[in-house]
Amino acid sequence: MQKKLLIIGGGSAGTILANSLDRRDFEISVVSSSFGHLFQPALLYVAFTNVKSHIVRDERSLLPPHVNLIHDQITAVDLNEQRATSANGAVFPYDYLVIATGMRTDTSQIPGLSEINEKYGDYHSSIARAQRLWKRLDSFPGGTIALGQGSPIIKCPPSPLEGIFLTDELLRKKGLRDKSRLIFFTPFPRAYSASPMNEIVEPLLQEHGIEVLTFFDLDHIDPATNTLYSIEGDKIECDLPIVIPPFKGAEIEYLPVDVVDPDNFVITDKETLRVKGTFNAFAVGDASNLPTSKAGVGTHLQAKVVAKTLSGHPAKFDGRTSCPFDLGNGRGVFVNGSYEAPVTKARPTRTNHLMKMAFERIYWSSLRGRLDPVMDAYFALTRPRPASKEQEPASTNV
Amino acid sequence: MDETTTGRILIDSTGSPCPGPITDLALAYRRSKVGDLLELWATDPGIRTDVRAWAAKTGNEILSISDSDGKIVVVIRIAKR
Repeated sequence: MQKKLLIIGGGSAGTILANSLDRRDFEISVVSSSFGHLFQPALLYVAFTNVKSHIVRDERSLLPPHVNLIHDQITAVDLNEQRATSANGAVFPYDYLVIATGMRTDTSQIPGLSEINEKYGDYHSSIARAQRLWKRLDSFPGGTIALGQGSPIIKCPPSPLEGIFLTDELLRKKGLRDKSRLIFFTPFPRAYSASPMNEIVEPLLQEHGIEVLTFFDLDHIDPATNTLYSIEGDKIECDLPIVIPPFKGAEIEYLPVDVVDPDNFVITDKETLRVKGTFNAFAVGDASNLPTSKAGVGTHLQAKVVAKTLSGHPAKFDGRTSCPFDLGNGRGVFVNGSYEAPVTKARPTRTNHLMKMAFERIYWSSLRGRLDPVMDAYFALTRPRPASKEQEPASTNV
Repeated sequence: MDETTTGRILIDSTGSPCPGPITDLALAYRRSKVGDLLELWATDPGIRTDVRAWAAKTGNEILSISDSDGKIVVVIRIAKR
């Protein structure tokens, strides 16, 4: 007998999962607030290089015909009663639930940020915002640009540095670099949060003349003067602020209420991916509070773990990430890590940059499981080694 | 983040790799007020260096750093917010 599986969210996690299950076992419904599926990493290139390729596809085209795709917004989930409720008042009972909502940007956490990002754009919210940022960068006459994240929680940890490196590259191409000052701010003790990779990044920042302000945890912004103030008491005055907004979990009310943290991320077992206190509800991708990076590769692997578990082959997520990191000027590096294996230093290469550029095409096929053997081989080949007990402490989050 | 029996605000970052513990501390600091006592649990050894740098930068006070079977416990008094 088919089990009712409800997937909340039609992003990469929900789509991969819906494509990975046997239709004979599950009656699958995907509830998504949007039918347009965005390749999120491309927002970086929309904002900094004016990429105009088709980065949105129809979600229906990415799902098998037997999957029921519903355009609606889930606003409440009762884990005790096993049902979800939507903004339209529809009720969705389930046998199994997968929360794959992703997360949302929340400018309201930083006074002044809504005005700043409305005016200058950003590269994590939407295509329109990313295009706005490109217009600001393209018409920038020279001056001071400050770029950083507005909160310690972030989607894709390399993305702030990718932004500053691509800004540097753009200004050099336009002959404006000597008329410009670039400031990179971060709430962390170093430019890249994980120490080994920071050893690669810091010399590059110095080489490119990019100033770094660490322990700059953004408190508020004066939009009238483009002045950024930190909780620690520092300030930055600039002509163009590029601020990655804080993130929160989806706007869903859960019962019981203690299954989410203060930022509405779902409290999730880091290996089984089950929602706290449940056996039939899972959270995957950015929606969870897992102690690992919020990035695409982890999301992909988490969806596969849940698919295996639901198919009767219990699996565990090992915290694996593999973030492609664009260092500008045609160079890139992959940041690999897992719960047990620390990030190690990796050499920036042009091949890595080209691999990142090829990701968009791979992405659409990977959602439908067409590249699973290739992806599995890649993950096996690049599996990070667990740290030995004697090894110097290092970082494993990317 | 929970309240401990000693009235401290507990931040449990055990099992969370770097920069997990310093991230959790930064988030707790955002929600704190002067006089609060924060108790941070971590297993990533990098937190020792990071928390000292954080306290020096923010002007807060580390009351103790202890280590038992790989679990590092840092107690912080919020002096500036």
